[in-house]
Amino acid sequence: MMRKWTSIGSLSFVVSISMSAVLGVMMGIAPAFADESIVNSKHDLSARGPGPIRAVQETEVCIFCHTPHNAAPQTPLWNRESPRLHYRIYESSTTDARIDQPSGPSKMCLSCHDGSLALGNVLSRPQSHPIVMTARTIPPGTSDLTNDLSDDHPIGFRYDRALFNRDRQLRAPEVVSRELPLGAHGEMHCTTCHDPHNNELGSFLRETDQMSVICMSCHDMDGWEHSSHALSRKRTTGRTVDPRERLKYQTVGDNGCLNCHKIHSASHRERLLRFQREENNCLNCHSGAVASFNVAADIGKRSGHDTRFRTGVHDPTERTFNMRRHVECVDCHNPHSVRHNPVGSVGGSLGQLVRNENLNVSGVTINGLAIPKAQFGYEICFKCHGDSVARPRLSTQRQVNQTNARLEFQLSNPSFHPVAGPRRNFDVVSLISPLRVGSVMTCTDCHNSDNSRFAGGSGPNGPHGSIFEPLLVQNYDRDDFTVESAQAYALCYSCHDRNSILNNESFSLHQFHIVGERATCSTCHDPHGVARGQGTNSSHTSLINFDLRIVQPVNAPEGRRIEYRDTGRFSGSCTLTCHGKDHINLPYAGGGAAKMINAGRGLFQGARR
Amino acid sequence: MNLLIFLIAVAGTVASAVSGWAMMGIEGSRHDLSNMAWSNGDTCGACHSPHNEAPPKAAPLWNASADLSRTFGTAIGDPVAPGSGTRTCIRCHDGTIALDTIAGVNRDRFVNKQHLGLFKTGHGRTDHPVGMKYPQFDKGFRPMNSVLAQGEVHLPDGRVECISCHDPHNQSGLPGMLVMSNYRSSLCLTCHRK
Repeated sequence: MMRKWTSIGSLSFVVSISMSAVLGVMMGIAPAFADESIVNSKHDLSARGPGPIRAVQETEVCIFCHTPHNAAPQTPLWNRESPRLHYRIYESSTTDARIDQPSGPSKMCLSCHDGSLALGNVLSRPQSHPIVMTARTIPPGTSDLTNDLSDDHPIGFRYDRALFNRDRQLRAPEVVSRELPLGAHGEMHCTTCHDPHNNELGSFLRETDQMSVICMSCHDMDGWEHSSHALSRKRTTGRTVDPRERLKYQTVGDNGCLNCHKIHSASHRERLLRFQREENNCLNCHSGAVASFNVAADIGKRSGHDTRFRTGVHDPTERTFNMRRHVECVDCHNPHSVRHNPVGSVGGSLGQLVRNENLNVSGVTINGLAIPKAQFGYEICFKCHGDSVARPRLSTQRQVNQTNARLEFQLSNPSFHPVAGPRRNFDVVSLISPLRVGSVMTCTDCHNSDNSRFAGGSGPNGPHGSIFEPLLVQNYDRDDFTVESAQAYALCYSCHDRNSILNNESFSLHQFHIVGERATCSTCHDPHGVARGQGTNSSHTSLINFDLRIVQPVNAPEGRRIEYRDTGRFSGSCTLTCHGKDHINLPYAGGGAAKMINAGRGLFQGARR
Repeated sequence: MNLLIFLIAVAGTVASAVSGWAMMGIEGSRHDLSNMAWSNGDTCGACHSPHNEAPPKAAPLWNASADLSRTFGTAIGDPVAPGSGTRTCIRCHDGTIALDTIAGVNRDRFVNKQHLGLFKTGHGRTDHPVGMKYPQFDKGFRPMNSVLAQGEVHLPDGRVECISCHDPHNQSGLPGMLVMSNYRSSLCLTCHRK
């Protein structure tokens, strides 16, 4: 009995299905199709299709591309001519793919999407009677790729083991998702990413582009999975460069690559960037509303790494020593790897290792070796401020001049600020705890945005821009006759205790010079260091390298010259003219600290005795 | 149920009136060859003969001897031997066999010169494959059961043949003698999950 009812039920089910189908067909109602069907998608060009581009009368859907008989000799029963255009193909200094003219399935897509062939020209119709469409060819816009494919993701290259071996930012072809089919010879086609019959995911994509899943199927950017760009839940509203353009998803993390890259019709062709001006790809979000910190406000300051300086000069493959002068965000940051620093770390003196914001950025070591991943922060600075011909010009004429910061910070120099390594100069008694002789520092301890968190402000850390030249975190007056104050030399006093200096604990005449004579720190000291070969351990210790605007040579018995001579702990002599006063082998000795140390030693000895 | 049938009938009438499906059946269709000189005004005789049926049996009361041993190039690459639902058709429609074989005259005349190369091996993959098993387990296709349940597309022995889509007797009166309307490509999408 049960069985009978079941069979009757199934029979009626079948009958009802066939009846409804017949009914639907007879009444001119399209059968109901699921979302993944081409019917009712944008590729449904029939007169009942949903898009603005469709046929006027033709009601078939497949016929615009396929015909069951007398098709073009290409699978799959192709009903269109191939375009005969020559395409401008994608070029990039960083691609390892050998890109060729599009072929095979890609040409099939281009038979509509290059805008050259009439949409209604199908092989199954005589050419004199094409299918009449609402638009003859695909109208200009996002779907019209034109014959210029240099602003589109490359196609027509073989994605094979050899390519993978050349380009380590790709995944091995055998681990790429099977959802993304390559051509007969492993070449990439339009159809690798797009399924023309299925618009379930939007843009006819084969895999979702949310969180750039489809991109990351092939691309393997170092550090991307943990980068703050991949993980950000920040909303993308409030972008400043293209505030009106709607990104596909709400958050930065969901948009993934699409925040900065456009897969088709990119403004900056090479590397398919969203904006022609490199920095706009970053500043779009990093100008207050989307990202936490407003970098745009910093780079425009009086002294800054103004990334708007030049466009089209930076190239990831550039050789630092002969590149043209420029600065872009990506010179110091790798947007694919960049990460937040742990909470509580304010940068600066905590360590000289490269910070999370600067992970996976190329650099130049203290020995001048170009490396793909800088290990220490200063290595990034040395790219432009080291041996490069693009390095900045000299700012202050001194006794000996050096613009190559890499040479200024060598550990074998007579004196240097301890950036590339610690220094054992026990004459430095002014350091504020926890700093001590042997501590190391970073470039950004001095060169940082004046509004950075590091400086106690609210802006982003890092040498983006400052009102204090040259890109200093705090004020540092260098003009002659500056009245001494905590503010005048705030930069120096942030590490070197003002009381110690003014109490003459190291140089016994500090107060006399700085307060009495109103000479600046910079008059006698060259903050970076004096390169080995330009100075010796007796002539340029303690960063002594006089500012020639203020200090002049003097006619001394041994000849006209400027000379500093280190004669031991806290003692030396000067031969120069400054503020009208001739110093000829003028000695000094015994700073306050020396006296204290000596006194302490005496005390200690006394106690022992 | 009566109401449903009534509705179908009404819908059918309306649809016929709108679409102009007046020409149903083989008479007057392009398969009606009764006006040919050799046919002696016989509509069915081109394909069927009431007596002396040609062995082996290819179709009911088949008139002429079709070359049943031939293999044919198909769009999927492998030459296959189609079933009778194809062989009976391509006896005329392969563009190589003269229609007039039956009468033995004018052997150079083809049924449709524009369809030269239909099913011809080596011509290129220009036609929908026939003779192959329905790709039951390919996700690009609907399950065979649901195709058969619709009752429009025939899959003799589970294979795709000419008669899967075409009805040589033109009982629907549709253009191309299709078994069902291809409005919004519904015939194609009966099998293809696209």
